[in-house]
Amino acid sequence: MIKDITIGQYYAVDSPIHRLDPRVKLVGTVLFIVSLFVAEGVFGYLAAAGALAFVIHMSRVPFRFMTRGLKSILIIMLISVSFNIFFTEGTPVADVLILRSMTWEGLEKAVYMAIRLIMLILGSTIMTLTTTPNALTDGLEKGLGFLKKLHVPVHELAMMMSIALRFIPILIEETDKIMKAQTARGADFESGGIIRRIKAMVPLLIPLFISAFRRAADLALAMEARCYHGDANRTKMKPLRYEHCDRGAYGCMAAYLVLILILKFVWKGWIAG
Amino acid sequence: MAITFEHVTYIYEPDAPVVQKVLDDISLTIPGNQFVGIIGHTGSGKSTLIQHMNGLIKPTEGTVKFHGEDIWQKDYPLRQLRSRVGLVFQYPEHQLFEENVFKDVCFGPKNQGLTQEEIEQRAKNALSMVGLDESFYKRSPFELSGGQKRRVAIAGVLAMNPEYLILDEPTAGLDPVGRDEILDQVSRLQKESGITVILVSHSMEDVARYAQRLIVVDDGHIRFDDTPRNVFRHREELEKLGLSAPQVTYLAAALKKRGFAMTEDVTTIREAKDAILQALSAERENRSGNGIQKKEQVKTDD
Ligand SMILES: Nc1ncnc2c1ncn2[C@@H]1O[C@H](COP(=O)(O)OP(=O)(O)OP(=O)(O)O)[C@@H](O)[C@H]1O
Ligand SMILES: [Mg+2]
Repeated sequence: MIKDITIGQYYAVDSPIHRLDPRVKLVGTVLFIVSLFVAEGVFGYLAAAGALAFVIHMSRVPFRFMTRGLKSILIIMLISVSFNIFFTEGTPVADVLILRSMTWEGLEKAVYMAIRLIMLILGSTIMTLTTTPNALTDGLEKGLGFLKKLHVPVHELAMMMSIALRFIPILIEETDKIMKAQTARGADFESGGIIRRIKAMVPLLIPLFISAFRRAADLALAMEARCYHGDANRTKMKPLRYEHCDRGAYGCMAAYLVLILILKFVWKGWIAG
Repeated sequence: MAITFEHVTYIYEPDAPVVQKVLDDISLTIPGNQFVGIIGHTGSGKSTLIQHMNGLIKPTEGTVKFHGEDIWQKDYPLRQLRSRVGLVFQYPEHQLFEENVFKDVCFGPKNQGLTQEEIEQRAKNALSMVGLDESFYKRSPFELSGGQKRRVAIAGVLAMNPEYLILDEPTAGLDPVGRDEILDQVSRLQKESGITVILVSHSMEDVARYAQRLIVVDDGHIRFDDTPRNVFRHREELEKLGLSAPQVTYLAAALKKRGFAMTEDVTTIREAKDAILQALSAERENRSGNGIQKKEQVKTDD
């Protein structure tokens, strides 16, 4: 039933990408997104696509898992693409009917935009598919550690985030269970008008809230019982430490950025010349 | 009158990197008026199996039939099926939601569209069956103890008067008296009104005592499907599956090994008592009392 929703869609296999330090992947994703906006011209995009394909291949996640994320933004993409096609000034595609308001410039823009969006989504999907939510928050906490100097409660925020992330699948599971239990008692969540449907949610929501509160209280108690005291002097069981492959990955990223910049200037020169 | 499984296979996450068949090609018939026990180690697929019986989950492959009709064919009245096949979940206390106990038990019959009178009558019957008297009716289900909540939840399903009653570990976390009380009631109900009870349990003693038929599930396969007595003859195999025979069976085996002229084929305390007494009197007849007598006396106290 409700299991079809995928949040925190980690795909558990072992691959070089999975093993990378989460900070590397965070930085890499940000850099990749920036590079998509810096890149210009066919070669720039080819380089970005090549890099993406390489990482996807290395991650050993089946490609159809990547494209799932794309479905959700399909509509947004269609709208923005058609806006670009029709509302960009320039030479019309042809002098018949609807084609009159389409422009070559718009078409070009739209194609680049679509490619950019697709790669952007794929790039960030790769990160969530290869990094557990916990590793991600760890990475964020450590990566943003410098903000502590500005009195930003980075640790507490990261803790809240990881607890929230941890609770999502639990709550989904719980919802599923309670839904089944009430269905077994004859509850009907699927038919009737809107009022009936809302009423039908009561037997689901009340037990769900109660169990969420109970879990939260239990968790607080369990943390207390283990003397949890927040940030100061806490050590990690698995502290994040850069390994050789992480440094290698940073190297690859730098090389990739340089390549994108070079291609950009080459392209500009080519267009101008 | 039967629930029938034909080559049922079930996979929770068909897209996962490692596909796990939680049920693997299960075929099974559960006719009316039986007390069936289901045992299997943790995670063997018992809960998944029983959720197929009232159409809460749809088999990935294969068919589930109720009275000969495929329950997943188009326009099959699944809601009606669910009121005929009552299912009490593992930890059912988490499903309580009404402001008081009585109303919560009324939820099932109300969904069946009965009249107010009938609903209340059923709720009262069900509550008395699980041993909760009127002083509980107006109490909030959330302020009860775990065991009391469990009883309310079981009553909530009993009140629907199902033809098949499926109980998923109904007695986990109950005190011994409460456990016997509930199982005795269910067993009486099964005999008196001719319904079928399917009991999932981790207690070999309970299934040995109540069930007429015992199904052993192991990693999605049915390993044994026979009377408890016949199943418990396979002690070693059961142990390999992370299960065991009832303790009295081990006692009988140990006594036999010590040279007692008795059968190993006992599964309940009563049978054990009879077998031991019989063996004792036989022994006494053979030769008038000697040294072993004392040891035997101690053992009968078990
Ligand atoms: N909602 C679910 N999603 C994914 N996998 C599940 C789900 N429920 C159960 N499983 C898996 O299916 C297998 C069988 O689970 P099931 O709950 O049927 O076992 P069980 O025999 O009832 O165990 P127990 O004795 O602990 O109640 C387990 O390996 C479990 O991990
Ligand atoms: Mg179970």
